Amino acid sequence: MQSRRVISKPQKESLVSPIIAAIASALIPGLGQILARVVNRGLIILASFITSAGLLIWRIATEGARYTGWKTIISKAYKLNPFLYLITILMIVTYIYAIVDAYLTARPGAKKSKAVGMIFMIILVFFAQGWEIGQIDLGALVRDADEAVPALTKVMWPWAKAISHPEEFRTSYVEVQTPCTDVAFPSGEPKTDEPYLIADPTCGVPSEVEVSLGTEFHVIGRNFVPGNEVEIWWKDSANREFHHRVDGDYLIVTPDKNGSFDISVIMPYRTLTPAAEEGVKTWQIQARQLISVGGAVASDELKLAVEKMIETIFIGMMATFFGILLAVPVSFIAARNLMSHSPVTMVIYYLVRTILNIIRSIEPLIWAIIAVIVVGLGPFAGILALTLHSLAALAKLYSEAIESIDSGQIEAIQATGANWFQVISFAVIPQIIPPFVSFTIYRWDINIRMSTVIGFVGGGGIGYLLAQWIRILDYRSAGIAVWFIAITVAILDFVSADIREKFV
Amino acid sequence: MLQIKNLTKVYPDGTVALKNVSFEVPEGEFLIVIGLSGSGKSTLLRCINRLIDPTEGQILWNGVDLSKLEGEELRKARRKIGMIFQNFNLIKRSSVFSNIMSGRLGYTQTLPSMLGRFTKEDIDMGKNVVERLGITDQMHKRADELSGGQQQRVGIARALMQEPELILADEPVASLDPVLAHSILKTLETLNHEDGLTVICSLHYLDLVQRYGSSVVGLREGEVVYRGSREDVRKMTDEQFKEIYGAEAERVGASIEGVVQE
Ligand SMILES: Nc1ncnc2c1ncn2[C@@H]1O[C@H](COP(=O)(O)OP(=O)(O)OP(=O)(O)O)[C@@H](O)[C@H]1O
Ligand SMILES: [Mg+2]
Repeated sequence: MQSRRVISKPQKESLVSPIIAAIASALIPGLGQILARVVNRGLIILASFITSAGLLIWRIATEGARYTGWKTIISKAYKLNPFLYLITILMIVTYIYAIVDAYLTARPGAKKSKAVGMIFMIILVFFAQGWEIGQIDLGALVRDADEAVPALTKVMWPWAKAISHPEEFRTSYVEVQTPCTDVAFPSGEPKTDEPYLIADPTCGVPSEVEVSLGTEFHVIGRNFVPGNEVEIWWKDSANREFHHRVDGDYLIVTPDKNGSFDISVIMPYRTLTPAAEEGVKTWQIQARQLISVGGAVASDELKLAVEKMIETIFIGMMATFFGILLAVPVSFIAARNLMSHSPVTMVIYYLVRTILNIIRSIEPLIWAIIAVIVVGLGPFAGILALTLHSLAALAKLYSEAIESIDSGQIEAIQATGANWFQVISFAVIPQIIPPFVSFTIYRWDINIRMSTVIGFVGGGGIGYLLAQWIRILDYRSAGIAVWFIAITVAILDFVSADIREKFV
Repeated sequence: MLQIKNLTKVYPDGTVALKNVSFEVPEGEFLIVIGLSGSGKSTLLRCINRLIDPTEGQILWNGVDLSKLEGEELRKARRKIGMIFQNFNLIKRSSVFSNIMSGRLGYTQTLPSMLGRFTKEDIDMGKNVVERLGITDQMHKRADELSGGQQQRVGIARALMQEPELILADEPVASLDPVLAHSILKTLETLNHEDGLTVICSLHYLDLVQRYGSSVVGLREGEVVYRGSREDVRKMTDEQFKEIYGAEAERVGASIEGVVQE
C-alpha cells in the first residue's frame, strides 16, 4: 500500500494589492479572486453571480410582465412577490462577501482558505431562488386538508364501490275504471305472498283542466318491502305511464314495518284528448318499489379495473418479450469486445451505442405520447413505447454482460478442437445466461410498473382508467385502481426478487 | 516428435514475445519450460495449439506444420493436444461432468453437442476418467464449487477426454499450495509414464522442475537461453537456476513425501 501524503500548497502570490482586488471584485464579482490567483474560486463566484442575476432578472420580468417601463416592472414585481426582496438581500450580502474575500485573499502571505462561508452564501442564494421558482408553499400541505381528507379516504378505502347490489323495480297495480258504469268494477284482491293494491272507489273520472278535480281514490298497499320507497305511477288506457304528482312533486311513499301504506290519490288529467278516450276504459294505479335481487356482486368499476389490470400486465409482458427479442441481436453489435476487430465494426459499435443511449434517455412516457400519435390510443401504443425503451435498456445491459465474458473459458473450449457453434453453446451461453435472466426479470419488473402509468398518456392499461376516474373525481373507483396497482407491484417485487436470487 | 523451428511472435502492439525459438520435443518427454514472468512461456504454449497465431516459424508435429493449419484441420489437430491452465478455465456455472464432456466436443457433431448429447461410449469414457482422477463424488457439482486442486483435476480430465497425444500445461500448479502442486504434477507424471503422453509444462519452482522434468527449456525475453536433459537438471544448482530465472527463483519447499499418494 502506498500512502498518499497531502501536501498543502502555499498560497500563490497575488498579482494585485488587496484594495485593487476588492475593487475588481466590486466591479465584477470574482475578478478580484482571479487577480489574486485563486482562479477557480473566482470563476465559481463569477459564474454563480451571472447565473443568479440572470435568474433574478427573469423572475422580475415574468412577475412584472403585464407592465411597461422597467421601473414599473421592477417595483410591481417586488410588490407582487416579496420573496424577491429576500433573494436580492442575499445576493447583496454575497456580493459584499465576495469583495471582502477578494481583499483578504490578495493580502500578502494570506493563508489558503477554503472559502466555506462564500460557498455557503452562494448555495443560500440558489436555495432561495429554487424555493421561489419551485413555488414551494408548505401551507398548501395543510390549508385544504379538510377537502383532501374525504377524497383521500375514498382512495385509500374504496371497497364500497367494489361491490354492488343489483336492484330492480317491482311493479304492483290495481285497475280502476273510467267513467263509472252501472256495473261495479272489481277492485284488486288481497294476495298472500306478493304485494298488492286495493283501490276504493274502483271507478272515477280524471281531472279536467280548470274545470274539476278527478275522483279521489283511497289506495291501500300491503306486503311491500318495509322501508323501501314506493313510487306511485299511473298508466292510462293508451298505456302511457307517468308519475303521480302532488303539487308538482312525484309521490313517493314509504311502507311501514309491516310493508303497508295507505294513500289518497286524485285521478290526474288525461294526456289524451277526451275524444280519444271515449267509452269505458281502465287505468292502472301502480306502485313501483325498488328491491334488491340476488346477493352482492362485483361492481362494474371493479370488473373494469380487473380487466384493465390484466391488460396492464400483458402490456408489460409483451413489451418485455419484444424487448428481449430485439435486444439480444443488438447487444452483440453493442459489445465492445466483439466489435473491436476493425475500424468498420468500431464505427458500428459507436453508432449503435449512441442510438441506444438516446432512446434510453427519453422517458417511456414520452415515447408513449409519440406512439399514441402514430398508432392511436390503446394498449398497442403502450407496448410500442415500452418495447423501445426495453430494447435500449436491455441491449446495453446484455452487451455489458457480453463484454465481461471470461475469455479463458472460451480458449479452454477452443483448445479442445470445438467449432464456433460449440464454443458459443459451451463457453459463451453458460456465462451470459445468468446475467441475461437477471436483467430481463429486472426489466420485466420495470415494464409492469411503467405500464401502470403509461395509460395516463393514452397508452392503455389501468393508468388510462385511473386518469379518467381522477378527472371525473370518482375517487372511490380511482382508489380501486390504485389498490390494484399497489398489489400487483408488491407481488411483482416479491416474485422478481425471488427469481433473481435463484439465478445470480 | 514436436519440432519448433524459428518461432517468432510479435503481438499487435509490437511486443516481441518469442524470438527465433527452436527446439525439439521427442515423444514421451516431460518437457518443462522455465523463465521469468513475461519471458514468453504462455505465448510459446499457446502458439503450439494456435490459441495464438505465431508471426513466423514452424511448429512441426509428426511432420505437419501446425502453424499453417486452418479451420477443420486445425480443430482436428487441436483434438490431440490437451491444454491445462493456471486458472483452470472451467465453465464455472456448468457441472463438473459437463466440463469434462466438453473435452469430446472435437469428436462430436455440432447439433447433438449443442444440445448436450454425447454418445454412450463418450459418456462411459467420461465416467472412467472421472474415476481415474478421483473426482467421482464431485461429478454433479457446479465447477466453481470445487476446491482449486479438484478444479485442476477436472481440467486434466477435460484434456484427457480428448485422447490427446500431447498435453500443454501452462503453470498448472501456480494457483495451488505445494502439497496440491505435487499431487497434480504426479498425475501428469503418471499420464506421461503410463499413457506415454508427451507433456510440455511451464513451471516456476526449481524443486518441481528437478523432480518432474525429463528435459528443460529456459526462456528469457523470448529467447531460449537454456536447454538441459534430465541429468543436467538434476545437477543444476540454485545459482544456475537463478541465472535463467533471475532473483525470483525459489523452491516450493514441500517435500514429495508430504503428498498423499492416490
Ligand atoms: N495479448 C497480448 N498483447 C500484447 N502483448 C502481450 C500479450 N500477451 C502477452 N504479451 C506480452 O508478451 C510477453 C510474453 O508474455 P507471456 O504471457 O507469454 O509470458 P509468461 O512467460 O507466460 O509470463 P507469466 O509467467 O507472467 O505468465 C510479455 O511481455 C507480455 O507483456
Ligand atoms: Mg503465462
